[in-house]
Amino acid sequence: MSIDVSGVTKTFGDFVALDDVSVSLPTGQLTALLGPSGGGKSTLLRVIAGLETADTGRVTIEGVDATRLPPQKRNVGFVFQHYAVFKHMTVAKNVAFGLEIRKRPKAEIAARVDELLRLVHLSQFSHRLPSQLSGGQRQRMALARALAVEPKVLLLDEPFGALDAKVRKELRDWLRRLHDEVHVTTVFVTHDQEEAMEVADEIVVINDGRVEQVGTPDQLYDEPANDFVMSFLGEVTTLGGVLLRPHDVHISTTPQLAGAAEGTVSRVLRVGFEVRVNVLTDDGEDVLLVLTRTHARQLGIEPGVRVWVTPASGALTVPSMKAAVG
Amino acid sequence: MVEVSTPVRWALRLAAVAYVFFLVAWPVALVVRQTFSNGLDNLIEAFQDPHVVNALELTLMVAFWAVVINTLFGVTISILLVRYEFPGKRLLSALIDVPLSVSPVVVGLALLLVYNGRDGWFGPTLEANGLQVIFDTPGMIMATCFVALPLVIREVVPTLTEVGDDQEQAARSLGANARQTFWRITLPSIKWAVIYGVVLSLARSLGEFGAVKIVSGNVTGRTQTATLMVEAKYQNFQQGTAYATSFLLILVSIACLVVVAVLRPKHP
Ligand SMILES: Nc1ncnc2c1ncn2[C@@H]1O[C@H](COP(=O)(O)OP(=O)(O)OP(=O)(O)O)[C@@H](O)[C@H]1O
Ligand SMILES: [Mg+2]
Repeated sequence: MSIDVSGVTKTFGDFVALDDVSVSLPTGQLTALLGPSGGGKSTLLRVIAGLETADTGRVTIEGVDATRLPPQKRNVGFVFQHYAVFKHMTVAKNVAFGLEIRKRPKAEIAARVDELLRLVHLSQFSHRLPSQLSGGQRQRMALARALAVEPKVLLLDEPFGALDAKVRKELRDWLRRLHDEVHVTTVFVTHDQEEAMEVADEIVVINDGRVEQVGTPDQLYDEPANDFVMSFLGEVTTLGGVLLRPHDVHISTTPQLAGAAEGTVSRVLRVGFEVRVNVLTDDGEDVLLVLTRTHARQLGIEPGVRVWVTPASGALTVPSMKAAVG
Repeated sequence: MVEVSTPVRWALRLAAVAYVFFLVAWPVALVVRQTFSNGLDNLIEAFQDPHVVNALELTLMVAFWAVVINTLFGVTISILLVRYEFPGKRLLSALIDVPLSVSPVVVGLALLLVYNGRDGWFGPTLEANGLQVIFDTPGMIMATCFVALPLVIREVVPTLTEVGDDQEQAARSLGANARQTFWRITLPSIKWAVIYGVVLSLARSLGEFGAVKIVSGNVTGRTQTATLMVEAKYQNFQQGTAYATSFLLILVSIACLVVVAVLRPKHP
């Protein structure tokens, strides 16, 4: 196991940011820490990097107990949410920083910087100052800087958070390809579930300072451990006291299936090829469904129509803890 | 911007220019004119007076050490104030402003009370160990340090706060230890604030009068700085020398401002 976090608790004053967190992040994988804002993702990442010390618990990196090691001894590359570029140094100098600290020979540094700048497509900008780069370029420079010291572990705190949607998508694909090329154990923080599902081999869902679930994107989506994970990974609705995905609700205009709840269509909204339907059951539940446009037309779904709704066979359901989620 | 009619705008400009002219430019210009009223005679005479030369040298020496000490402590205290939490931090921050509000004469008296060789708190002990503070250079440097103390700190603290500690953390994560982080990251990012602080301290130190007058004893040829010399010469009816020395002090101040203006990078 590459990174082992066991029983880590971190408090700020009397606020518990991490509550007895234990996770293992395997070598060579790309792992996402996913969770809502304030959940403790950055804090966990900073504890792994040594930028924050845990109150209790241990951090082991590649078999070495790093709990008491200062950040500069952990051999961890950290990419900050707001880049934290060295403003007074050129792009090349930024990337060379870690190597110069390690007193590597000049020629070796120059060669390595060259190689890294090519890797992140910034070769032609090597003599610019960071202030003369775009946000995405700065982010790539920060990545190259972290990679320069050949860290055992690369930690990225919301690496694409401050970028617009298009650049974000590009960098996301690029990170995936880079990871496949370089194969360094990588952990990145995000609160965007789509980003996590698309890029990561494994996802750690963190909420309120606790780990809710660890698993591959498919595992998380198909077998969510609880209602929180289920609702965080995609849209959900409640029907008969269970949570399920809106496209997993079966609807008919006649009472076909036993146990189906009877109700009235209260709202129909067309979004592209989808139709989103709200059904108000006679038990007072507001159920959301997603149908294809063709299906909705076939059934003649319109506001006021009486319908019967039930979880479709094979639908993933999770007992609902709270009344109205989603 | 508020729209102001043309005549009002001109009136405001005139008022500002007049204010600065009567308060600063004209008096300073008169000092310069008096200095050169007999051509270079005043300056030559001043430089031939060993007491004047001595006073100038002493002033430079005192100012140099005061600036060095204040820069070292100023940068250290600023980092302490901005980057660390400790009990008594607010008290320390408030104490640093004391020299701005207390009259230098009072500062001089206070130092005299603590360090004088006869009945001061530390004075006799220090003097018994061969270090005379009052009526000697150490006391003058101390007094000058005291009055110039806030200048570096008040320049550096806001810059340090604004820069934040992101870059320092990044440096640490890249393998730099505390010392390397300071020299390669922190110092370059507060460089301009430090330079301004140094220049302000230098100007303030060269011009210090009240505190130094009390702790130095004002002994001509030994503990008399340039400012004290100006006063003494003026009262001695040697106005020419007084003007010449003043002119030199003005020259150094202007040189400081020019150096900053030239060195300062185009972007803030
Ligand atoms: N230095 C600090 N002092 C006090 N509280 C802190 C500190 N750092 C973090 N916290 C608190 O700890 C909690 C977790 O913070 P953290 O930054 O880990 O959240 P996050 O999951 O990264 O959220 P986001 O997605 O918004 O970045 C937050 O409630 C935050 O207010
Ligand atoms: Mg965060």
